[in-house]
Amino acid sequence: MSTGTITLTSSDEVDITLDRAVAERSVLIKNMLEDLGDSGEAIPIPNVNEAVLKKVIAWCEQHKNDPASANDDDDNRRKTTDIDEWDQKFMQVDQEMLFEIILAANYLDIKALLDVGCKTVANMIKGKSPEEIRKTFNIQNDFTPEEEDQIRRENEWAEDR
Amino acid sequence: MEGDSMPDARTSPTLRLQTTVGDFPAPSLSPSFKLDEGYSDETRSQAEKDQGADNVMMLPNWVLAQSEAGRAAGKRALPACRLRLPSYFVLADQSPPLTELAYSLLRSLRTSSIAAVVERLNPILHMDPVVKLPPELTWEIFSYLDPQTLLNCSLSSRAWRERILDSGLWRFLYINEGWRMDVRAIRAFEQEQSEPISPQSRKSRLRHNEPDIGEPKHKKRVPPTWLSSRSTEEQRVAGLNFSPAVADNEGDHYMTDDDQAAPSLASSNHTPPTPSLQFTPSLYPPLQSSLITRAPNGSVKVNWSHLYKQRRRLEKNWHQGRYTNFQLPDPSHPEEAHRECVYAIQFEGRWLVSGSRDKTVRVWNLDTKRLWHAPLIGHAKSVLCLQFDPSPEEDVIISGSSDKTVIVWKFSTGEKIHQITKAHADSVLNLKFDSRFLVTCSKDRTVKVWNRKELLPNDKDYPRICRGGGPTYPSHIIDLTDITPNMLEAGIANGQIKALQPYSLLMTVEGHGAAVNAMQIHGDEIVTASGDRMIKVWSIRNGACLKTLMGHEKGIACVEFDSRRIISGSNDNTVRIYDHVSGAEVACLRGHSNLVRTLQAGFGDRPGADETLREEAQAVENEFFAAQAAGESVDLGAREQRRTGHRVNTAGSRDPRDITALGAKIPPGGGGSSWARIVSGSYDETILIWHKDRDGRWTMAHQLRQADAVTNAARGNLSQVARTTVAAQAQQLQAAQVLMTLPQTGQNGGNNTAQAAPANQNNANANPAPPAGTLGQAPNPPPAHHHHHHVHARRQPLLPTPTARVFKLQFDARKIICASVDPRIVGWDFACDDEELIEACQFFQGL
Repeated sequence: MSTGTITLTSSDEVDITLDRAVAERSVLIKNMLEDLGDSGEAIPIPNVNEAVLKKVIAWCEQHKNDPASANDDDDNRRKTTDIDEWDQKFMQVDQEMLFEIILAANYLDIKALLDVGCKTVANMIKGKSPEEIRKTFNIQNDFTPEEEDQIRRENEWAEDR
Repeated sequence: MEGDSMPDARTSPTLRLQTTVGDFPAPSLSPSFKLDEGYSDETRSQAEKDQGADNVMMLPNWVLAQSEAGRAAGKRALPACRLRLPSYFVLADQSPPLTELAYSLLRSLRTSSIAAVVERLNPILHMDPVVKLPPELTWEIFSYLDPQTLLNCSLSSRAWRERILDSGLWRFLYINEGWRMDVRAIRAFEQEQSEPISPQSRKSRLRHNEPDIGEPKHKKRVPPTWLSSRSTEEQRVAGLNFSPAVADNEGDHYMTDDDQAAPSLASSNHTPPTPSLQFTPSLYPPLQSSLITRAPNGSVKVNWSHLYKQRRRLEKNWHQGRYTNFQLPDPSHPEEAHRECVYAIQFEGRWLVSGSRDKTVRVWNLDTKRLWHAPLIGHAKSVLCLQFDPSPEEDVIISGSSDKTVIVWKFSTGEKIHQITKAHADSVLNLKFDSRFLVTCSKDRTVKVWNRKELLPNDKDYPRICRGGGPTYPSHIIDLTDITPNMLEAGIANGQIKALQPYSLLMTVEGHGAAVNAMQIHGDEIVTASGDRMIKVWSIRNGACLKTLMGHEKGIACVEFDSRRIISGSNDNTVRIYDHVSGAEVACLRGHSNLVRTLQAGFGDRPGADETLREEAQAVENEFFAAQAAGESVDLGAREQRRTGHRVNTAGSRDPRDITALGAKIPPGGGGSSWARIVSGSYDETILIWHKDRDGRWTMAHQLRQADAVTNAARGNLSQVARTTVAAQAQQLQAAQVLMTLPQTGQNGGNNTAQAAPANQNNANANPAPPAGTLGQAPNPPPAHHHHHHVHARRQPLLPTPTARVFKLQFDARKIICASVDPRIVGWDFACDDEELIEACQFFQGL
């Protein structure tokens, strides 16, 4: 059933043709194709530009043979931030691209890619001081020193076990 | 799109780049700088607003034309003034000429200047996910982080803090710790609080569990945070033009006396630990969390970041052995106590039911620590076991006795509904029921299953007869294999086959070689523990024995079963944990010096635990085989050796050399979260609290004694002087082995007796001396006279029997309650009189 190719049109109106099986890693596209049938017309992806869409498709190519995730309530599973090697490399992009991938994965409903993206950001946060986090993400510290101190003290309950 | 609408304002002179670079401060390359792989012309990046307009120079149009040459040509107008700087650094395939140009340009600079440019570009390469991503996606990111990291992150900025202190995120974290919650209580509370009611009554509702609302002594936790959060919220909601002073009317009067303009400023004057609460109005969520969050429409939700914190504080009290004590009955009402030792207790919500050697069953109100109605009289001998369900659908207590009978009582009235007169041929040692069955076990070595509701043979709960030894069935049970469904239907229809009345015997299970001391039902399985040193698992459907577990070296007194593990306590002084699936013994806890009579275990399994446990177990076995292959001295040893104690099982070590059994579906120690807890009570007169250490091994964390609890509970109500007296009296009394001894205490507490139990905690708080602290910090008081007892009890049998052999205990999220030889039932409350904790505890459940 998932044979042949389909065409997607990015937000900047670039047409990209790809295997239907690859495109169906996206639950959004899969459902669309199932509901509407493959008319042969290009499917507009209005929220994702060409560069990001290509990146996302590259990921889907790589993962097209992955078994479907066990079930969707893996929110119930303990979350590890382990990422396999290929995905790690794949995610070595600038932050703008990284966040765009996350947004696109969310929009296109590609759970596994969304997870990889979120894990990547989580790993960028882990083990950093607030100051380092601010640097990493170019965040303006808008706390007064007093506030910062108060919050730090208020958070003490979480220390040591 | 957004890019197109960028203001046309960046018109710096073309050559400014050249002239300004040199003025930049010492350059430093950010370590997290990464090269682009792709390329984006998306313009909704945060960088735009971070980057001052004057930082961007104007490039001639022919350059820009180059930059976009290969892309989307003519599809939309180029923002003529805006150069996307990242493209300088990208080896972007789309625009090699521009990239080359930029590169050549940069290469012509001094290294320090290049670095300075890089430094300036940093804001573009580093952008804030909280700005860039919607809350549901930052939620996903944050859900991969641990609480400590998250709180650390919350210091990054106000926006981060607001996203991180999201109630839903902390609910997720709470559940992931393996903690449980009382969903029904939460829903009821939220509904009650959400009712559209006048501010005055809302306030009293909010604090309905506090005895004296008018008193300003709870200052500290009068929620200034709540008020400020409300006013903050109101400020945030456009159109809701509440004046803060109106909102503040809900607070205590003393809070509004000096300032109308800034309510939380006023309250800060009264709030000791945070002198500069002036900042609270601008902090959202407020600095100090509160139990509830109120939406602008008045609907109330519990605040999980607050509840998570309180649960952590509560668990810390458990770990540090900080508690206050209480007793049933309240020390001022000694006349309500059982007359002899208490063999059975169970509590649920505010109710506790106890059964005693004095032949009575008593129902207690844990809020008042008083008897709820007159003792239930009906048994002719000791009440040995009981279970109750106070829910309106069930409203039942069932008790078993040495008189060989079982009595069914109506919980709410204490009325005797039914008695199974010849339940067993000997004492009924334990019983359990669910909505379908009652199961009893006895000193007569049998286990019996009874129906709780009328039962027809075509009902799914009707027993299926299992041929071939083991179970026996009374003659009124029809073998469904002997009768066709049609005949059965016909027989029922014409009245030849009648329904079994409630509490009819369904089957008798035989197989143990000694008294069956303890049992439990879980789903369709019955687990029994016997004096014959064995644990057996049976089918409740047909009575077939499914498995037998061995390991204990003496008779077994108690057993617990949670579908993954079976935990037992024995006369060999140990507590053992077995894998339910394989029957392997995965831990042996040594710490008691006498028979382990009662225990409860909470492993705090996280959602999805089965898989985690299997993985952990597999990892341990892999290590074992690896060690074996490497020629290390790992060896399971002969089963006989292990049974006779030559091969001692550990309390959960994962060292390959300590592994004694393979094939378990749970790791050594039994797995579970790091909050896992076992509490065991023994004839050595102690209660032990076991926790897991960092390596997953069970260790003895605290030792509790019934006698100390009695002393502490009595002291809680008394002045300092009276406390000393009572302590002295208590020692005398114990030395004299007088069990029914509380009149003296009552007199000493005379001036306080009017304020029965619930006032207890308030008194403690109001006291100038901090009794809570001193009580709490005495988890292991000098055990001088107890040791005395031990020695005497063992070596000189002529001396009195021990006073506080522990018969039964139960714990929940907050407390342990224990029944012993002493007729007074005692409790350890780990909420430690802390108001915030007590408030939060109503929503917590155990592990």
